[in-house]
Amino acid sequence: MSLDARGVTHAYADDSGGDDGPGVADGGTDAAPVFRDVSLSVDRGDVVAIIGPSGVGKTTLLRLLGLFAEPNEGTVAVDGTDAWTAAERDRLALRRQVGVVFQEANLFDASVGRNVEYGLRVRREWRERLRDELRGLVGGRDQPEAVREALGVVGLADYVDQDASSLSGGEAQRVAFARALAYDPNYLLLDEPTSDLDPRNTAVIENAVADASDRGIGTVVATHDMNQARRVADQVAVLLGDGVVEVGPTDRVFEDPRDDRTRKFISGELVY
Amino acid sequence: MLPTDALAVFADAAAVPVVEFPFESRYLLSTIYVSLYVSVIAVGLSTVASVPLALAVGFSEFRGKRLVTSVINTGMGFPSVVVGLLVLVMVSSQGPLGHLDLVFTKRAMIISQFVLATPPITGIALAAVTGVREDVRDAAFALGGTRADVALTVVKEARYGIATAVLAGFGRAISEVGSVLIVGGNIASANGISKTRTLTTAIRLEARQGRYELALVLGAVLVAVVLVVNAVVVRLGDSKTSAGGGLR
Repeated sequence: MSLDARGVTHAYADDSGGDDGPGVADGGTDAAPVFRDVSLSVDRGDVVAIIGPSGVGKTTLLRLLGLFAEPNEGTVAVDGTDAWTAAERDRLALRRQVGVVFQEANLFDASVGRNVEYGLRVRREWRERLRDELRGLVGGRDQPEAVREALGVVGLADYVDQDASSLSGGEAQRVAFARALAYDPNYLLLDEPTSDLDPRNTAVIENAVADASDRGIGTVVATHDMNQARRVADQVAVLLGDGVVEVGPTDRVFEDPRDDRTRKFISGELVY
Repeated sequence: MLPTDALAVFADAAAVPVVEFPFESRYLLSTIYVSLYVSVIAVGLSTVASVPLALAVGFSEFRGKRLVTSVINTGMGFPSVVVGLLVLVMVSSQGPLGHLDLVFTKRAMIISQFVLATPPITGIALAAVTGVREDVRDAAFALGGTRADVALTVVKEARYGIATAVLAGFGRAISEVGSVLIVGGNIASANGISKTRTLTTAIRLEARQGRYELALVLGAVLVAVVLVVNAVVVRLGDSKTSAGGGLR
């Protein structure tokens, strides 16, 4: 059981909507590819870190894994099912197995509880959702246990009723993590999740990643913080130039890199 | 003064109202009713049409999108008498809707108010939904939302802008004179009950006939109605925020 990108090539293109998610490139072919022939795989329970300099396409690769857009070439498969040859309904089901946490928390203008509940809510039938909303209007809405549980993982169980706009940056990012965890995904994609956080909030997120791994969730973390990659990841993929130059166990990649560009990048030399 | 004389004086005094209103209440109430009836229904229908239109235009890229946006923005300043005239032509006996017998009816007024209210509601709602950060749309999508879920989330995030759009449309509809005069005819029955007379057309009529007191009272009522509607919308927005909920 794994989330796989196989031989993926992708170029930035104008956002033209289409069948993809909101605000994502449709995968035009005129522009130069941001990367070519990239393959990456994460098994359930494993943590894979993608490291590489800014602008190399880490976020784009995560968006392809999150099924935001169809790659120009190659396939993305969830548990063996090619997402882009599947019917739209099936693709939605595959997409719902993957949780995404962005660099910014991107919380909705609502309470913390409503934010964390979002993923659970959209998975319910419309009739059930409407009934829940009506109950909410008369003050009888129950908060699912999964919401408190997910907030508990990031140490914010008491924040359920707090307005999301009143949170600090670190707290907001922890809520964003809980929001992706609440509907129990099989895979998590984290895009520089701690780049703006202080050490305490970073530690909370990293512990939550370890906790998710223990629960059997496969996680891909894009980061430019190599120390973080060493702390959290079982495997490291090095994205340099226009592709993945090396993939391997974290200790081996950092201590005995097989690719010269990896060695230079890890030692702090500019490699593009 | 004998007690009976004192009672007569008291009875005479009681017969004179403390404040003498220059109108019959049923005239005023029926005029308010017609104004609200026509404006609320027209704005309600317009909102139902405008918000999905704003979402469709705001979310999609298509050839001529700029032209569509320009048409919407131009429509905000469309002369109301021209709208009234066009609607009158449509509903007149020779027009395509002539068989519906709508001339000088509230339904014809609703049509013209709908045409007038739709461009401002669509235009302002469009600005509001396109102002919602793309990150928020991404988050809704990433959490497993369908296109409908993402759209609903954007509407929720843009709720203040959309409320402003609805208020702007309501403001345009309820303060409208020219088109409702043309298609409605400003009719009140002999017993003083308004049939198609609105607050604005009544003000125009009373002012032309020199009954300025009544025109001013009608004007004050019109302003009060707009203020109350504004307050209700703002209050609803506040309560939804404090509840942190609503449909998303």
